[in-house]
Amino acid sequence: MNSEDGNPAAVPVAVQDTQGDQRWMSQHNRFVQECKDAEPDVLFVGDSMVQLMQQYEVWRELFSPLHALNFGVAGDTTCNVLWRLQNGELQNIRPKVVVVWVGTNNYEHTAEQVAGGILSIVHLLITQFPQAKIVVLGLLPRGERPNPLREKNASVNGILRSSLARLSAAQFLDVGGGFVHSDGTIATRDMFDFLHLTASGYRAVAKPLSDLLLQLLEETPEERRASLV
Amino acid sequence: MSCADSNPATIPTPCVDIQGDGRWMSLHNRFVSDSKDKEPDVLFVGDSLVQLLQQFEVWRDLFSPLHALNFGVGGDATQHVLWRLSNGELDHISPKVVVLWVGTNNHGHTPEQICEGIIAIARLISNKLLHAHTLILGLLPRGEIPNTLRDRNAKVNELLQQAVPSLPRASYLSVDRGFVQSNGKISHQDMYDYLHLTPQGYHNVCKPVHDAITHLLEKRGEN
Ligand SMILES: [Ca+2]
Repeated sequence: MNSEDGNPAAVPVAVQDTQGDQRWMSQHNRFVQECKDAEPDVLFVGDSMVQLMQQYEVWRELFSPLHALNFGVAGDTTCNVLWRLQNGELQNIRPKVVVVWVGTNNYEHTAEQVAGGILSIVHLLITQFPQAKIVVLGLLPRGERPNPLREKNASVNGILRSSLARLSAAQFLDVGGGFVHSDGTIATRDMFDFLHLTASGYRAVAKPLSDLLLQLLEETPEERRASLV
Repeated sequence: MSCADSNPATIPTPCVDIQGDGRWMSLHNRFVSDSKDKEPDVLFVGDSLVQLLQQFEVWRDLFSPLHALNFGVGGDATQHVLWRLSNGELDHISPKVVVLWVGTNNHGHTPEQICEGIIAIARLISNKLLHAHTLILGLLPRGEIPNTLRDRNAKVNELLQQAVPSLPRASYLSVDRGFVQSNGKISHQDMYDYLHLTPQGYHNVCKPVHDAITHLLEKRGEN
């Protein structure tokens, strides 16, 4: 993927500790340690959308039983996730499915760049885990009313949909279908701050994702190889 | 507090929409319009620690039954809360108790500035809501291991404990129920990112808050 050269969204970057409590690195170090202690079948990587899911009942109901690890960090961009994955968070584990959900925090990047950043995460995962399947979740709409970030996220999704269709190991799942109402608004009962999901917002996202994960986990690598022949 | 004019933590400031989706102002407008429809007895005001509280079971268990409204906004510092409360969020309600929890996001401010910012909010509340009691919650420690922000927040709490008793209709409540373990660490079981509380962390915090609120509401009932 030479086209990713020069894309700022595809450059691994560690978050600078501007606040002074080193929380980002503490979380990364914990994830690296969890890789040594756990044998996850499913790995979630991404930003607060991934991270916050673990705080709700839906995680214990639908994803913990699948032996899932959650490596979500609030505020992360594609650059930050790339750095984490290249610095220990993929060591000592062999997940069967990896769920990627990141990109809505890439404020400084164009839709093309964000999609390129997500695709470089996917390529890294395919290289590290040749047997695994990668699920990329579409970016959600955000903001109470129509705004440029909604349009950008929709553009990212359009690029991802067509790019990922060409990769046999990866697939795109759009879980944002029901959040924008006919009058163009997003409700606080779905996104409490017009970005982050409520418990019921996560329900809407988690059901189709859980169904897909169950289906992917049932397909053994052998079956997959056979189907590709 | 004549130096307060030059203290950025005490100057009402709206959040600039650098991201481009207008969410901060949407939330403020939502709160203002909520306040026209509801008659809360209890109002929670603050940052993400207030905001996230509403997303968990403990809110429905302990605070919804008290007729509570939640005006928490992630990332808010004292100057942002000051702006929101000066611009409509208190104009249509008369809660009996206001729970104020903000300050940990005042990055770049000294403990003295942050304390003054919190005190300025409490004064604004007591000026606008003549019958409300303000319950100021202490800042929590943060970060997995000891760090400067833990020291800063502890100093803010120390200053608050000195300053709050001289305020009318206000009290201070420490809600740090041993989050720092004997090895100096904070567990992700309590704070999943070493700042925001898990449901378990909220459970520890919310019991004393609930007790304090119900005590204040009962005292009011006797008068
Ligand atoms: Ca594919």
